[in-house]
Amino acid sequence: MSRDLLITLPALNEASNLPEVLAGLREHWPSAALLVVDDASSDATAAVARAHGALVAVLPFALGYGGAVQTGIKYGLRRGFAVVVTFDADGQHDPADVGPLVEAVRGGADLAIGSRALASGSYRGGIGRRFGRAVFTGLARALTGLRLTDPTSGLKALGPRGQALFAVSRFPDRYPDADALVLARRARLTIAERPARMRPSRNRRSMHGGVGSLAYGLNMLFSLFVAATGRDLHPKE
Amino acid sequence: MPTRQIVVFLGLVLVLLVAILELVRRRVLRVEYSWLWIASCLTTVLLILRYDLLVELTELVGAVVPTSTLFFLCILYLALLCLHYSIRISDLTHQVKDLAQEVALLRVHRSEAAPDDDDASPRVG
Repeated sequence: MSRDLLITLPALNEASNLPEVLAGLREHWPSAALLVVDDASSDATAAVARAHGALVAVLPFALGYGGAVQTGIKYGLRRGFAVVVTFDADGQHDPADVGPLVEAVRGGADLAIGSRALASGSYRGGIGRRFGRAVFTGLARALTGLRLTDPTSGLKALGPRGQALFAVSRFPDRYPDADALVLARRARLTIAERPARMRPSRNRRSMHGGVGSLAYGLNMLFSLFVAATGRDLHPKE
Repeated sequence: MPTRQIVVFLGLVLVLLVAILELVRRRVLRVEYSWLWIASCLTTVLLILRYDLLVELTELVGAVVPTSTLFFLCILYLALLCLHYSIRISDLTHQVKDLAQEVALLRVHRSEAAPDDDDASPRVG
């Protein structure tokens, strides 16, 4: 297996979606290493992933989406992969969108993000989420001049410098979100965006809704402030 | 301060002090954490024996009765203690996360070395 491309999939109880998702990735990327990070699932996620030829990192207890993604990135960083792609295990991402992201990183970007907003006809979430995304995108832009269209996208490709930043212990690990991108910007990473179509998640485990969205909003607001004004995070060299 | 009060409270503080020392001796409480509690006990002893210090302090901060000064300081002290623990917990949260990730990465490493050795590892929690 070449040390060129690692595709890592954080997975929580995705045993039913994984066969199709892994098969799709394998078809597009026959030589890539696939790593499923099992966030302490209660179903057969790990066994299914193994049966479909993926490497599996089983977490001893659930860390949540961000902690699981970070586990995969740490693996890629330690093994010296040139490109690490983070890909959702629930089938909402399209393997065909990985190509342009990988190309962007090979072309010099430290971080490439798959954006729903750039893809015509992509699912973009309900009105509440779209509103929230617009607010935080605007804030991130006001704080750092960062022009990005889809900060909550989980589909990303990272070069070595991007991996090193995202692997820092105190890197925000709650969701993929605008605060992470503000930090990437502060660390002077080169950031690119490419269109990506997304389907509505089949396995809904979204935590944004009702009182949750208010808490999420306040948390994100504060997190953005911290990312923009807080102490620098230094990746280990 | 009436003698009866002095005796009662000195007795209580003494019991607490002995309990803390015993906890440290049994290695339940770490030495570096025990200083905080020992210092609190000694401050209490000081205030029991030298009530006039509390009265002076009350005048200094402009409070009306010494009890309010005492309660105010206690609450402030407990709030700071909570803050201290929050910081420790944040620290520990990062450490636990890093350790869990390390475990997961070692499991990948092991399965790469011996692919047939399927994961029979017990799950925590």
